[in-house]
Amino acid sequence: MLPLLSLVLATLFVGTLATFLAGSRARWVALVVSSAFLAEVALLFADFTGWPGYSAQLVPGFSEGESYAWLHLSWLQINYTVGVDGISLVLILLTAILQIATVLYSWKEAKKPNAYFGLLLLTCLGSFGVFVALDILLFFLFWEAVLVPMFFLIGFWGGPRRRYAALKFFIYTHVASIVMLFGLLAVVFYSGSTSLDFSAVYLAARGLAPVVQTLLFLALFFGFAVKFPVVPFHTWLPDAHVEAPTGGSVLLAGLLLKLGGYGLIRWGVELLPIGFAHDRSILFAIAFLTIVWGSVVSLSQRDLKRLVAYSSINHMGIVLLAIALNSSLGLLAAVLLMFAHGIVSGLLFMTAGSVHHTFGTRDLPAVGGITPRTPALSTMVMVGSLASLGLPALIGFPAEFTALLATWDGLRYLVFIPLVILVVTAAFYLWMMQRLLFGPVRGVPDGAHDIPWYEGAGMGILVILTVLFGILPSLLTNVIVSSPIRGFPGP
Amino acid sequence: MSSLFDLAGTFAPELVLLAGALLVFLLDVLKLRRLELVGSVSVGASLLALALVVADLGFAPFASLRTLSAAQVNPSLSALATPLWTFTSLGLVFQGMFLLATLLVSVASLSRGSKETGGPIFFGLLLLATLGMLLVAISSDLIFLLLAIELSSIATYVLVGYTRRGLRPLEAAMKFYIIGAVSSALSFFGASLLFGAYGTTNLLAIREVAGTVGTPILALLGYAFLLSGLAFKATLVPFHAWAVDVYDGAPSDVSAFLAGGTKKVGIFAVLLVFLGPILFAGAGGSSNPFQGGPFTLGPILQVTLGTLAVVTMTVGNVLALLQKEMKRLLAYSSISQAGYMLLGVTIGTAPAIAGATFQVLAHVLMKGGAFLVVAGVAGLGIGPLVDDWRGLGSRRPLLSVAFALLLLSLAGVPLTIGFVSKFVLFSAAVQAQGFFVWLAVAGLLNSALSVFYYARVLKVIYFEAPPAPLPTGGAVVGGAGPEPLRAGGLGIGRAVAIGVATALVVALGVDPQPLLGPIQAAASHFVFFWR
Repeated sequence: MLPLLSLVLATLFVGTLATFLAGSRARWVALVVSSAFLAEVALLFADFTGWPGYSAQLVPGFSEGESYAWLHLSWLQINYTVGVDGISLVLILLTAILQIATVLYSWKEAKKPNAYFGLLLLTCLGSFGVFVALDILLFFLFWEAVLVPMFFLIGFWGGPRRRYAALKFFIYTHVASIVMLFGLLAVVFYSGSTSLDFSAVYLAARGLAPVVQTLLFLALFFGFAVKFPVVPFHTWLPDAHVEAPTGGSVLLAGLLLKLGGYGLIRWGVELLPIGFAHDRSILFAIAFLTIVWGSVVSLSQRDLKRLVAYSSINHMGIVLLAIALNSSLGLLAAVLLMFAHGIVSGLLFMTAGSVHHTFGTRDLPAVGGITPRTPALSTMVMVGSLASLGLPALIGFPAEFTALLATWDGLRYLVFIPLVILVVTAAFYLWMMQRLLFGPVRGVPDGAHDIPWYEGAGMGILVILTVLFGILPSLLTNVIVSSPIRGFPGP
Repeated sequence: MSSLFDLAGTFAPELVLLAGALLVFLLDVLKLRRLELVGSVSVGASLLALALVVADLGFAPFASLRTLSAAQVNPSLSALATPLWTFTSLGLVFQGMFLLATLLVSVASLSRGSKETGGPIFFGLLLLATLGMLLVAISSDLIFLLLAIELSSIATYVLVGYTRRGLRPLEAAMKFYIIGAVSSALSFFGASLLFGAYGTTNLLAIREVAGTVGTPILALLGYAFLLSGLAFKATLVPFHAWAVDVYDGAPSDVSAFLAGGTKKVGIFAVLLVFLGPILFAGAGGSSNPFQGGPFTLGPILQVTLGTLAVVTMTVGNVLALLQKEMKRLLAYSSISQAGYMLLGVTIGTAPAIAGATFQVLAHVLMKGGAFLVVAGVAGLGIGPLVDDWRGLGSRRPLLSVAFALLLLSLAGVPLTIGFVSKFVLFSAAVQAQGFFVWLAVAGLLNSALSVFYYARVLKVIYFEAPPAPLPTGGAVVGGAGPEPLRAGGLGIGRAVAIGVATALVVALGVDPQPLLGPIQAAASHFVFFWR
């Protein structure tokens, strides 16, 4: 069988290098690489759904497994081990979709295009690596490899306060990753594992005492919570989003936040289920706080991008809630929500970018009634907002519905907290649409044209997928539920 | 060990270097002083010696252990029956690394230009210094060890000042000589105190008798003096001050040799001298020869060495942050790296020694390569300040990429050899537990600190515009493009040496196993032998 995952990594690696070296033709190289990536992911899906075969591979419990010795010390083995299951596969699909959509959307980037597209591709390479890595060191390398290009994307192509935002982003997430690395290494050393492979650490960690698991899980949770982000650690996100260039925002919201969720599932809950079960009450408290906070603060935003950013925080709160439910339905909801949020927030950040390009401002009171002048852009804004507030037949609905169902399953009447907040979310999106799209015409310059073709193409991909997966969520759920359950449901 | 032939086989690499050095001096006398000619002799000799060492390691990786005494070499010296020389596989690994440094510097020095007059002196002394270093790696007697260090030191004193161009090299050479002489005196004094305590200067014999004879306080004093002397050679803080001035003042190729090669002699000597006491530090009871009486020598030495290691890396890194000149920055970073190596020696377990050895190898490649780049860049007419390197990334892309990779490796970025060596070292410290975990934490914090000054250099090279030409005659020259670099390239030899060093830095970072495996085996073998 083809070593598909390594092939994808090689494609992205060579492609990124080529993009950096390509000069003014970088966008074409980036497009070719993105298409190849998407094709390979399609192949991966076909292979996975056709022959899931979890039983007999190199890496137990994972499909497409590959493992090669990298650094074998007398007391510790570090391998290049990769593999996917349903959870990571869905997020890999998200990576491929967002990459090609972002490349298309940013087609006419004029400022150092080769570096811009190279950094975009590098971010996607790192995310892909995070989703497939099954060795702690490899995972950490990719985890950090996402951080650096995003730092440069914000710092060089960002808005007026870009330096501050980039530095804040870097410091917050870097401190978190160091804590996470120490947590993971502590799991290895305390459990006496002689390998950094996921499956080896997974087995060795079974033997850890509940107290140790509880403490270590908190350390890991902190590491992932900043990336999520959840409320006490979220302040980097609005700044980073507002200052980042549109392509950077899309990947930041669409991919980077998913790393936190994925990391918590794979390297937190699955590794330390007992610790997770003990710490669930903390997770619930933070999740509810995040849901309420993100949504209420959204109501008071004037900047379109800032509004979408806070609604992202709200959505990631629901993801954390779904994970904390500790049920297989909750896990399904969490993964589905992450995918949906990736697509929808990507779309919304693109529309925010287009609003800014077209009207010169994203300030909601300053612009309004844009539909007659820019019907295409308005359609995109509308689809994105409706999907985000959970309209049936769009992708947000199955995800949020599953999450609410799982919450009812686990917490009964506490489900009213997210349910009421959902109404608030709907309120601020509807209000935003009313002000921006329909009301009296304000702040629309005479020369304002509708979006150019490339921005339309980038957003169009996401719109089509929003509808497609909204109608046929089983395309995703079948893949997700085919994963072996590790850690869910806990004891 | 009867026949002369066997003896020649045993000392083959050393004899090859000696022959090479003599040939170079002979050519000098015959007035055949062309740089390419004498340089080729040096390259050939070090390459041959390296091949011999590698063959010795490769054919019999674990059978290579043997001891040899003066009495076995010459029966009339029957009084000297204790082994002067011990051939361990770890010693051979160190010999290989020393020869690698010499080889890189020799190849790079081939392209110094035909105006260079001191070729024979340079290459001859280089070979002699290497000979001394090789002898250190096989010695097991304090006196022989210190004499071997002396041989390499005296050769390098001259190397620093041999160009006789300008005052700085001369000042550096003078400083190096005086400090070196003092440190040698300290070492010999320490050895004499140990002789007083134990009645022998043989390291293997000291290990045997330490529990039964000798005064612990005398031994402690002896070890203290010995450590001070060796700390000068290994550039450990607070015995480091000379190193910066000497690396800065010496020709950059010589700096590459000093930083990449000679200072590791000090590290290996510390390992040889202190491993015995350290290995016994953990074992309690009356059977422990180093824990007799009120002074438990092992733990005292271990804490001293550990403190020295942490102080060395911290001071080196902090002072490197403040430097404005490229060579001084590299010199301080070199001092901090010595701290990492000492960390491994302090812990004294096989994994830690393997980590320290791999760190030495990494440092030979990284720092040797970096100083060779500095030498090459000086040839392009770029000044000594870090700021003079502005915009080199766009003017010399290949050279800049090589330098960037070397610096990233020094900073310990993954997929370079510097990451692997630090990972092996720090994880070995964590594995040793207790006090050593804190050494690992200190090391980690230090490598985080070091990222700042390497990043600053990278920023200068890649993100700042090249310096504009100076205004001439009151008016800015039209166009205001960057000042043109001096014509001509690096020269083939230097390019090859830098290329090889960089390629190895990356290749061993991506796949370290081919060398890490043998080094680990050699380290456990070494510890087994000394226990």
